[in-house]
Amino acid sequence: MFIEISDIKKHFGEGESRVEVLKGISFELEKGEFCVLLGPSGSGKSTLLNIIGGIDRADSGYISIGGEKTADMNEKALTLYRRKHLGYIFQMYNLIPNLNIKENIEVGAYLSDSPLDVDDILKTLGLYEHRHKLPNQLSGGQQQRTAIGRAIVKNPDILLCDEPTGALDYNTSKEILKLIETVNQKYGSTIIMVTHNDAIKNMADRVVKLRDGVIRKNTKNENKISAEELDW
Amino acid sequence: MRNPLNSRIPREIRREAGKYAVIFLFMLAIISVTSGFLIADASLKKAYDDSFEKYNIEDGDFEVEEPADDGLIAEIESGGVKLYENYYKEVPSVGGSKLRLFKPREEVNKICLLKGDMPENDSEIALDRLYMKSNSLSLGDELSLGGREYRITGIVALPDYSALYENVSDFMFDTEMFGVGAVTAKCFDGALGKTETHYSYSWKYNEPPADHFGAEAAEQSDEFLRHLSGKCELMNYVPTCRNSAIKFSGNDIGHDRVMFMVMLYMLIVIIAFVSAVTVTNTIAKEANVIGTLRASGYTKHELIRHYMAAPIIVLLIASLIGNILGYTVMKEYMAEMYLGSYSLVSYKTIWNADAFIDTTIIPFIILAVINYAILASKLTLSPLKFLRRDLKRHQRKKAFKLNTKIPIMIRYRLRVLFQNIPGYIMIFAGMFFASIVMIFSLLFAPLLDDFDKNTEKSMLAPHQYILKMPVETAEESAEKFAAGNLKIVRGDFSEDVSVYGIVSGSRYYKSDISDGKIEVSSAYADKYRLHRGDRITLHEEFGDREYKFTIGGIYNYPSTLAVFMDIDSFNETFEQPEGSFSGYFSEEELTDIDSRSIATEITLDDLKKTSRQLRRSMGSLMSVFSLLGVGVIILVVYLLSKVMIEKNTQSISVAKILGYNSSEISGIYLRTTTIVTIASMIFCLPFVTLALDLVWRSMMMEYAGWLAPVVPFSAYVKTILLGAATYIVTALILKRKINKVPMDEALKNTE
Repeated sequence: MFIEISDIKKHFGEGESRVEVLKGISFELEKGEFCVLLGPSGSGKSTLLNIIGGIDRADSGYISIGGEKTADMNEKALTLYRRKHLGYIFQMYNLIPNLNIKENIEVGAYLSDSPLDVDDILKTLGLYEHRHKLPNQLSGGQQQRTAIGRAIVKNPDILLCDEPTGALDYNTSKEILKLIETVNQKYGSTIIMVTHNDAIKNMADRVVKLRDGVIRKNTKNENKISAEELDW
Repeated sequence: MRNPLNSRIPREIRREAGKYAVIFLFMLAIISVTSGFLIADASLKKAYDDSFEKYNIEDGDFEVEEPADDGLIAEIESGGVKLYENYYKEVPSVGGSKLRLFKPREEVNKICLLKGDMPENDSEIALDRLYMKSNSLSLGDELSLGGREYRITGIVALPDYSALYENVSDFMFDTEMFGVGAVTAKCFDGALGKTETHYSYSWKYNEPPADHFGAEAAEQSDEFLRHLSGKCELMNYVPTCRNSAIKFSGNDIGHDRVMFMVMLYMLIVIIAFVSAVTVTNTIAKEANVIGTLRASGYTKHELIRHYMAAPIIVLLIASLIGNILGYTVMKEYMAEMYLGSYSLVSYKTIWNADAFIDTTIIPFIILAVINYAILASKLTLSPLKFLRRDLKRHQRKKAFKLNTKIPIMIRYRLRVLFQNIPGYIMIFAGMFFASIVMIFSLLFAPLLDDFDKNTEKSMLAPHQYILKMPVETAEESAEKFAAGNLKIVRGDFSEDVSVYGIVSGSRYYKSDISDGKIEVSSAYADKYRLHRGDRITLHEEFGDREYKFTIGGIYNYPSTLAVFMDIDSFNETFEQPEGSFSGYFSEEELTDIDSRSIATEITLDDLKKTSRQLRRSMGSLMSVFSLLGVGVIILVVYLLSKVMIEKNTQSISVAKILGYNSSEISGIYLRTTTIVTIASMIFCLPFVTLALDLVWRSMMMEYAGWLAPVVPFSAYVKTILLGAATYIVTALILKRKINKVPMDEALKNTE
């Protein structure tokens, strides 16, 4: 397997306010698999995603990616790991306000030894004609597409998406999901997407349902449908 | 691939144009001024140092009553020296001033012609540049001397009068009242023939010392004095190593450098902190971007470099342009500062690597280190903390408790105050520094006025004569005294102390010192922080004998460093015959003694020389200091208040949506800063007074004499008023900024 998540535990706060957010999460993913982490608010899905992404540490357990355990890495090694293997997409896009669209994508390309062609990505994302605009001149969907471009331009092994459609309307959300699907199919990236939109599970290869820090269900989706067919 | 983040840097500078413009202009001003000063300082110092060889400056001079004949000259020259005639005559000139005139000099102390021509006939004269400037004389002007008219044909500098000291024992020189010049030999012997000639001889050692002013030179001059004694009656003996007219300017040119460097680095540190505070604010604003970049794999160092780039680029551009301005415009201006005080020979601008290092490399390092340290400490936070905008290292569990009885608007302001404490500490520091600079500029004139007033009040007698030989007078109010000079020696620095022997029951000295008590002048006690019971050691002027005294009291005499004792103790201490005296104090002018018996008369005017010269040479610099103070206030208050407003943009926007009007919002965000700024101005004043006292004392310790650092109340008031006026202008600009905060700012999702 490509990603092994083993008995991950994590808590926040101390004493009376101590909350066990993850209580021993374990599952595995194959390379190129599209996994959706589902669950209500506070179920621990974003925390798990952050631990997989190396921007947060587990109390115990480990995550192994391609045989390398992230828990054994120091800050420098973790940065390198993110640089080489990961792409991140956030709910609020987090684009750099005073860089234009193309430059925002180049910010991702710069980190890779073998980045994808920025113009190709701009065209794929339908942003080519907007490439000289600043983020605040674009709609939410266009900004999120830019964020996707920034994440995928370095051709990451793993694309982590934290509620990528959370701030978008139905049509724009579908557009974004289609794009993520394309990335998965075209570039073979492993995708882990956190969402609380139950419908999105239908386009995933694997669905992991979390509640109160434990896995309630970990299923292989045999009836996967395309993003185009999704409805909610 | 070129780092795409670099494209942000020029945009960041454009976006924050106001902030960077303030930093740029301020840096430009201080770098160009400092660079100009350092270049002028080094160029003039080099010209001064080279002048010893170029103009063949003497190793010393002495004066005898009659011209030395060949036999005497040969005898003197057998002491390892070569003698040169350097006769001079002194004539009254414009405005009651005195001109010391020489023949053209061909061998030693050669005259540097700065402009025009040397005199060619006996109605022409060349005059010292500074004396001309102080007396508003120009080339071609006619000057009446001793009933004859002379046309000024040349502007000159005499290398042995780079500081226009009339006598080496003078406390200070006065370029308005004393000057030097040259006439033709024919004129000197002919037209000026009736004027008394001073038979002065300059000497050059056959084997000169390595350093003109070092211990070796002093030793050699003492040896030469021993060789001279007995051979002729000396009227005056001045080796170059003790000749203020030659060495004072050279010493001073080096001294001011320290003051400028301290000021430069203090300002750079303030700018570095202000810039770090503003960069920290940018980090807070861009927390999510930084989190994303870190999560994507950008390293901490890549981001530190990125966020440091804009201030560093601004500094480098300011340094570059500042250095260019320093080499061109400011150099002239700063050189004028010295040329306004000293009669220096012509100079050439020289490339000065130190100026570049001091004004560019070191500020660059200071700015880079402070910014790096602050950024590095901020960026140690995890990417996740940035994504969550959780930038506090130690999260406060609960909000500061404030009594709910306090009206909400006051509580709101207090919250703003607590939130911005680091910025307000910087405002306090900025106000402290600005006040030092401003009060320094404002105290100068009143301080000199105060000195003049006290000097007049505490003058020992309306007339004070120093005699060449003891003569009696019938004037009833005349009172004998003995006087001499000793030296205070501090490392390489030495200065004269006047020693007075006073008759018992003196009508002029208002303290009883008849029982062998020693008193020192208030100027001496104040400068060296002396108290009753302290022991002082003074040195013989031309010799190595030491004198130790225990201070029995302090006498109010602010103009001169002096020691007072009764005349019998004086004669005993200095091994003079009983009943010896060397001068008179008198209510009235002494008309019954031969003027040739009088060495000098000390007048009120003489005692005020220091203040007059300081006023002339440093007066223009004081307005620069005032401007600098205003600049610091603008820089600190504008930038830090701007940061505070930016930090609260969303809250301001929410307040607007809720229905608060602009003046209410300004009341919350700006009035707090106003209160802090004004309070800082007031509460920093005691610290400013202490700091000024230290700065002034350390500055005056480099000079001979003493001016007490008394800060007049008006200087405090003016500083506060000037500071407040500057702040009001800044606050109006910031108020506009608050008014411009859009309401949709609150609608932006920042998690």
